[in-house]
Amino acid sequence: MDTLLIAAFEILSFGAIVVLVVLGLGIIASMMGIFNFAQGEFVLLGAYVTYLVHSVGLPVPLGMLAAPVAVGTLGFVLEKLVVRRFYAAPIVAMLGTYALGLIIREAVRGLTGGLYLSVPEPISGSITIGSLHFASWRGVIVVITLLVMAASHALLAYTSFGLRVRASLENPQLARASGISTGMIYSVTFAFGAALAGLAGALIVPVFSLFADLGIRFLIQGFVAVMVGGVGSFAGSVAGANVIGTFSAWLPWLMSPVIADVLVFVLAIIFIKFRPQGLVSGRGVNR
Amino acid sequence: MSSTGTDIQPPPHVIEAARSPATASAFAGRMKVLPILEVALLIAASIAPLVLRDYITVYATRVLILCLFALSFDLVWGYAGILSLGQSLFFGMAGYGVALLSRDFGVGSIFAVLPAGTLIGFVAALLLAGFLLLGRHPSSVVFVSLGTMTGAYTADRLARGSHYLGGQNGIPSIQPMTIGSYQLSEGPGFYYLVLATLVLIYLLSRFLLRSQFGLALAGLRENEQRIAFFGYKVQHLKAIIFAISGAIAGTAGSLYAFHEGFVWTNMLGVVMSTQVVLYVLFGGSGTLIGAVIGTAIVEGLSFWLSDNYRDIWPIILGVLLLLVILFRPLGLISLVLGERERVGNFGPSLKEKRNAAP
Repeated sequence: MDTLLIAAFEILSFGAIVVLVVLGLGIIASMMGIFNFAQGEFVLLGAYVTYLVHSVGLPVPLGMLAAPVAVGTLGFVLEKLVVRRFYAAPIVAMLGTYALGLIIREAVRGLTGGLYLSVPEPISGSITIGSLHFASWRGVIVVITLLVMAASHALLAYTSFGLRVRASLENPQLARASGISTGMIYSVTFAFGAALAGLAGALIVPVFSLFADLGIRFLIQGFVAVMVGGVGSFAGSVAGANVIGTFSAWLPWLMSPVIADVLVFVLAIIFIKFRPQGLVSGRGVNR
Repeated sequence: MSSTGTDIQPPPHVIEAARSPATASAFAGRMKVLPILEVALLIAASIAPLVLRDYITVYATRVLILCLFALSFDLVWGYAGILSLGQSLFFGMAGYGVALLSRDFGVGSIFAVLPAGTLIGFVAALLLAGFLLLGRHPSSVVFVSLGTMTGAYTADRLARGSHYLGGQNGIPSIQPMTIGSYQLSEGPGFYYLVLATLVLIYLLSRFLLRSQFGLALAGLRENEQRIAFFGYKVQHLKAIIFAISGAIAGTAGSLYAFHEGFVWTNMLGVVMSTQVVLYVLFGGSGTLIGAVIGTAIVEGLSFWLSDNYRDIWPIILGVLLLLVILFRPLGLISLVLGERERVGNFGPSLKEKRNAAP
């Protein structure tokens, strides 16, 4: 029973990490139709910013606040300079954002000297309930993930900004005719997705430590999750992230980690093959 | 996916090409750039080992093998619009296959290992294409690219974890390839073997793409739905070209394994797959020569620059790639090659038609 509870907590906390990573990717993919191949590197960059703040002697939580701001700003700039040229051709966008990711990844590799760097957990120790110990930081990640998820949904579903985002997604011409600056909406949405990735990177860096190829793994995982969930809807991304996160955390308990890692992806691809619309076939944001 | 398969975007050059209004007759009087370029490159490649130092010849051999690999990616992406982000899967699997043949069975004869590598690539690509491309639902480009990428990632992970395949270190010290009793080691001999293979496969691909099959492929790339309405089995066409490209990647992979003398997991993984995307985009997809030129330029630059600027070279490469995608979506080849010639003619030439008509 005890091991079962601990396992459940492990699965929950890892699932939360995947949700956090996928949320930004899903929002960009669903709202803008762009498969952002640089998303993994935005996660990496968030982790790097946190490390940077930590290494100059400032407290780690400050770095975690700075990360989404910095990455979001970069996302905004990149959207203005590069990504907006790709809206007409989504396939070229994949290649273009891939090039962006390559630049960021190699820059970070140069800056870190190709080393594995660790960042301490801002809240260390563990919570003890009865005879069980849970790592506090993982608990914090779960809580923050839930908050971010709820806040993102509320932002898109209930605010006037969300309404404008949805309008620009649904019918860009009509949205423009109604006086919505779709260009600005796209920039902000992209920046928002990037900021979420930055936050994800900042939160997970104490767990995974910082290295240049941190992003690649999350990139494939994120894409698989978005497609399993169904491109085009907010609920789909979240559902897909939960499924992939759960499987990724659960299967290693049953078999060797390498096989488990591979099996998750293969199963996901087979699933997408036979149900291309994903788990949630709707579109937009459900209220 | 709310719109699976129906709204597949053609590669950018197609859109560009469709805009260019040049007609065949207007072009007929002008000189053709493509054959000149091809012949010039062939001559340059043929005399290169005579003037280059030995260690550069060895490097050039590697570049030629990578050209062959780039050709395989160009066939699927530039001609059929299939974005295969896992092309290294076939390259690496063939490499590992021939390495095992050499290690466990002592087979090193060129007449055994090259066909074996080619076959491995062909079968692997056929199986993957059967799964990813065929079936009731037409597959979206994103799904295919994700599927191929996952294939490469998976193979990489499994090879890393497998004791039999040497784990992280791969399989070292493969025996040299043999032709009869002659041992083929690095140097001019190997160079000319690779060059001959490259030229042969280049010509075969060129012939294939200028045939009726190539015309169907071009149509598929331009407008998949329309080709389907004409009664072509679109998915089958894609699967065929995918398997052919896998076979070419397999040939390249087995040559690479014997040239380097060892195979390691990077050959299978995402690193190699992205490398090949870079070559082809850089040179210009949709022209066979573009893939060759792209590979030669990227590898040549990295040869010069990586010594002095080892750390920032990958960053420069990324920036260059981004600039090419943004401002030269047709690749560097578009600087010298006109639209009309890039798209090319299909079937019997204009002259023959004119003679045939009374």
